[in-house]
Amino acid sequence: MRHVKLLLALWQANLQASMEFRAAFITQVVFMMINNGVYFIFWFLYFDKFKEVRGWNINDMLLLFGIAATSWGIASFFFGNFITLAEVIVQGRLDYYLSLPRPVLLHVLASKSIGSGMGDLIYGVGSFALSGYFTPDGFLRYLIGSFAGVCIFIGFLVIVQSLSFWLGNAVALSQFALSALLTFSLYPSALFDATTKFVLLTLLPAALIGTVPAEFVRDFSWQSLVELISGALIFLSLSVFIFKLGLRRYESGSAIQVEV
Amino acid sequence: MKKYFSILTMQIINSLAYPGDFLGRSVSIATFLFIFAGLWRTTFAISNTDEINGLTFSNIIWYLMMAETLELGRPRLNRTISEQVKNGEVAYILNKPYNFLGYHFFVGLGDGVVRMSVNLIVGSLVAWILAGAPPALAGWGMALITLIGAWILHFCMMALIGLAAFVVEETQSFELIYQKLVFILGGFMLPLEMFPDWLQRIAYALPFPYMMYAPARLFVKPDATLLWQMLGGQIVWVVVFIALLSFVYKRSEKVLTINGG
Repeated sequence: MRHVKLLLALWQANLQASMEFRAAFITQVVFMMINNGVYFIFWFLYFDKFKEVRGWNINDMLLLFGIAATSWGIASFFFGNFITLAEVIVQGRLDYYLSLPRPVLLHVLASKSIGSGMGDLIYGVGSFALSGYFTPDGFLRYLIGSFAGVCIFIGFLVIVQSLSFWLGNAVALSQFALSALLTFSLYPSALFDATTKFVLLTLLPAALIGTVPAEFVRDFSWQSLVELISGALIFLSLSVFIFKLGLRRYESGSAIQVEV
Repeated sequence: MKKYFSILTMQIINSLAYPGDFLGRSVSIATFLFIFAGLWRTTFAISNTDEINGLTFSNIIWYLMMAETLELGRPRLNRTISEQVKNGEVAYILNKPYNFLGYHFFVGLGDGVVRMSVNLIVGSLVAWILAGAPPALAGWGMALITLIGAWILHFCMMALIGLAAFVVEETQSFELIYQKLVFILGGFMLPLEMFPDWLQRIAYALPFPYMMYAPARLFVKPDATLLWQMLGGQIVWVVVFIALLSFVYKRSEKVLTINGG
């Protein structure tokens, strides 16, 4: 309960900070929606010409994009530091969080909000609504798929960025991991061979953010449900474990930091 | 001109100081090509054909390699300019004995030359593994010629977005939209011949194909008629953009307020 209260307080503070620059916030949201929409024109053009690729058509791509954008939107708007955790560690900015009687990882992650994430979230819901899978049970499966995606996005990136505790500066590695995860999550795994599919389900879990939840919404299967829930739980618990392990090695120069 | 050459050389040396940055970019180009090779291999297999709109699988992968080399090699100058405008650093550059835009053009060029060279080497290796031997020598020549116009157009666009910081606080959104317009109407993700006719006409009436499609398409299928057509389009748009940029820059200088400190 204490954790929920902390999260609510942080989200409220982040929202108030965004509202301080309301025009900039709204611009970010609207432009991110336009940005995603323009990018998706590629798939309209592609399916206008080829109709279907290995069982995937334009509606399925709308669904896949909808789930991936929703997951990304929620993660970046509510837990914005999951993208910049490596920088926080490297710059010694964990000092501030360590001095407070609150769970460090949760506190760091929710202390930042990326405004454009709200644009992704709204776009994701819209894309799902247009996909033709918008039924009561389809919506429930979409919610499960999206929340599993949020856990995997955050869990995977926290694991990679926690390597900063051992490697020193892992910012470049984190940026690559983020870019690869995001890029692969937006394409159906059906395009790749068996080895790549295996990698996309394990080492770089992009399929668990895009393809698997989309297949789960299209057609319920226990296998997809188990893959999603176990994937989300494994990545989240592993991320907490590795972060805590790394925290024991954390060093800072006692620099004076101001966290706003 | 000597001073701009010095800026260019200095920037090349600066860029070479960060090999880790190169590695990151090289991995990005490999990821992109790997995904698109999967997409197009499947598409060709399903369509049961060797050519789609006159392009083979190999043509498309090398086309995408050139497009990605350009996209990842172009520095985001708008961010630097916009930051300098917002934090007032612009004042320190304006009183130097060089032109503000000229300075940024050569800084960007120095950065871009190094980035594009590395992308080209890594991208070519990956494309060769995925799709076989590279295009003929004529293609490399035509790509290089049209690359000059494509670069100037891109610079003008970046500078215009950066200078917008004089008027609006947040300019990165414009960059995102510009980038996506190049992705689609510039033919970054899909060669223009695969568009429906009506969209091809719209794309050709805009500057974006001359920034991306021109070098990438001529690279894989060198064609003298297309080369002249693309060069003609580039010249027209370069004139339009330089005029627009000069106008915007002069207006920006007038509204600039510098406080001592």
